Amino acid sequence: MLSSYNGRFSPRLIAGAMLLAATSLGSVQAAPANIKVGLSITQTGPYSPPAIFELRGYQLAIDEINQSGGLLGRKLDLIKYDDQGNPSTAVQLYQKLLTDDKVDLLVSPYQTDLTAAVAPIVNRAKKVMPSLAANVENYSGKYPYLVQAITQTPQYMTPALDLAASKGYKTVALLIQNTQFPIQLAGGIEDEAKKLGMKIVFKESYDPSTTDFSALVLKAGNLHPDVIVGATYLADAEGIVRAAKSQNVGAKMFAFSIGPVEPEFHKSLGAAANGIFGTTLYFPSLKTKGNAEFVKAFQAKFNVAPDYHAAVAYASMKLFGKAVTQVGSLDQTKIRDAFLKLSEDTVVGHFKLSPTGLQTGYRSYVLQWQDGKQVLVWPTEDAQAAPVLPHGGWK
Amino acid sequence: MWITIINLLLLGLLWGGVYLLMATGLNLIYGVMKVVNLAHGDMIIVGGLLAFTLFSAHGISPIIAFPLAAALLFVIGVVVQFVILERIPVKGSLGELRTLLATFGLSYVIANTSFLIWGSQFQSLPFLQGSVQLGRIALPQALVAASVLAFCAALVLHLWLTYTMLGKSVRATAQSGLGAACCGLNSRLIRVITFGVGAALAGAAGSLVITLIPFQTTASGELTIQAFTIIALGGLGNYMGALIAAEILGIVEVFTQYYLGSNPASAAIYVIFIAVLIFRPQGLFGKVGRV
Repeated sequence: MLSSYNGRFSPRLIAGAMLLAATSLGSVQAAPANIKVGLSITQTGPYSPPAIFELRGYQLAIDEINQSGGLLGRKLDLIKYDDQGNPSTAVQLYQKLLTDDKVDLLVSPYQTDLTAAVAPIVNRAKKVMPSLAANVENYSGKYPYLVQAITQTPQYMTPALDLAASKGYKTVALLIQNTQFPIQLAGGIEDEAKKLGMKIVFKESYDPSTTDFSALVLKAGNLHPDVIVGATYLADAEGIVRAAKSQNVGAKMFAFSIGPVEPEFHKSLGAAANGIFGTTLYFPSLKTKGNAEFVKAFQAKFNVAPDYHAAVAYASMKLFGKAVTQVGSLDQTKIRDAFLKLSEDTVVGHFKLSPTGLQTGYRSYVLQWQDGKQVLVWPTEDAQAAPVLPHGGWK
Repeated sequence: MWITIINLLLLGLLWGGVYLLMATGLNLIYGVMKVVNLAHGDMIIVGGLLAFTLFSAHGISPIIAFPLAAALLFVIGVVVQFVILERIPVKGSLGELRTLLATFGLSYVIANTSFLIWGSQFQSLPFLQGSVQLGRIALPQALVAASVLAFCAALVLHLWLTYTMLGKSVRATAQSGLGAACCGLNSRLIRVITFGVGAALAGAAGSLVITLIPFQTTASGELTIQAFTIIALGGLGNYMGALIAAEILGIVEVFTQYYLGSNPASAAIYVIFIAVLIFRPQGLFGKVGRV
């Protein structure tokens, strides 16, 4: 029957053509598109230095993932915008990432304020986001798609207070900057002090634009506390130390949340920085999983040692990759569930989440400036050197 | 208790001197040319960061950086006035608005250029961080030094304005630009020099104040507002008024911070300012009507 067909297009010809078409269709099909990872980060503006470290952490992690073959057989592309530290700009940019760029994965901006601002739209779009905001209110169940990839705020200064208590110090003067992170941190400090049997004899907050701390420090000093603690950022931590030194206000221990962890602390204060304690969530000397390689790779790529912002960002991106690989697809809900089940060792420490996404595994450490260098001094099992206490006084 | 009050009073007086130094340049520029230099805070910061770079990279003390910062900002001020502000028509009701917008834009240019050079981290330098012991009272060394230099600068400025030919020409131009031109004074040259000197004072102030307060390239707005509040409180263009206003600010801030806490202290000066604007809008020493 086939051979007697008299039409122009014989069935054999048609069958052959279809076979050819089918095979050629298979080979002209495009290679799978790259996975788009999106974020806005504070590249310019007052808070850019730590944010730029975060960006570098993300970039290094993405490079490493791409070098080992990418995720689900696809490479990662990082799409980033500058939010200039402005929450409303960040919201617009995340909106753009979701609707225009149609990113597959979202990672977190820098700072509590920006993360809180973008949380509603990210959650509404049902996109999972490992977040680098330390304040706890974002992870109380209101935004189930946010998971915390950084130590919780109230726990930041717990080790510093433990150290003080171990030396028998009893009275604390607490100075608090009037912004979200320090206020929540102060609550955590008060709870921990109560647990340790220490008494808060002075507690005062100040406006973030305060530049002169002379009167405030004088007032705190008049009560002769054992420990002066600041829930601060860099400029105010410097201001308080300056005011204490220049007015000869002494204490057995000075400890600040953020401030001593930044190299500018010593650059600005010189010898006055020695003996001051600060908090950090990570240190290059930690013997955590993969840390030695991370520090080496970071140093080689960016010519500077990683700080804790870089480390948490790097760890969060690496864990994101792990969660995606476990799930085997880009299903956001399944990835979120995978995150909640993770119990992983990263360069920062042990990552573990509560059922609402709050970070319960990561901790914090105490560093001290000794002879012009930052040294990890507490807890003892991670310490590089012993803490120098009590404070030697202002010469 | 008395010791505390005397301590606070001294601190307030010293800080007043520093605030005066930061405001004098703005006062000079406004007094002579009725130009509100919104880039004033940025100029202070450039002076300060220059001192920081000289100290951290070359070990040069801020005492030497003080005249260097003044010289650099003088040049910048001269260029700004000659190239930008001289081209802007200041006649008519919109004149002041135009120069205000120009300096507003200038502020962004200077701030972002500084950002490219120095980044955005807070910078300061360790200098004279000890204390000056007066019996039971310990005063910050850097504050004493800055305040003394501030009063010296104010005195030198006063002498320049009162006893030198150029200074008298500046005052004449401030009183009446037309009158000064009629007397044969080169008004354009006077304005260029005045803006230069105003900028130089801002730069010099910055190089001193950075030893007391950390500076950041984007934090200029606060400084400009504070300087403007002081000169408006004292009477725009009036030097004695600015001195009194700066001292009031210093003393009020220190006492409020001690007795009422830091948050009311930030608001205290603005409460006073609003009160003065309601009851005596020309400022404490200003003249009523157009100057």
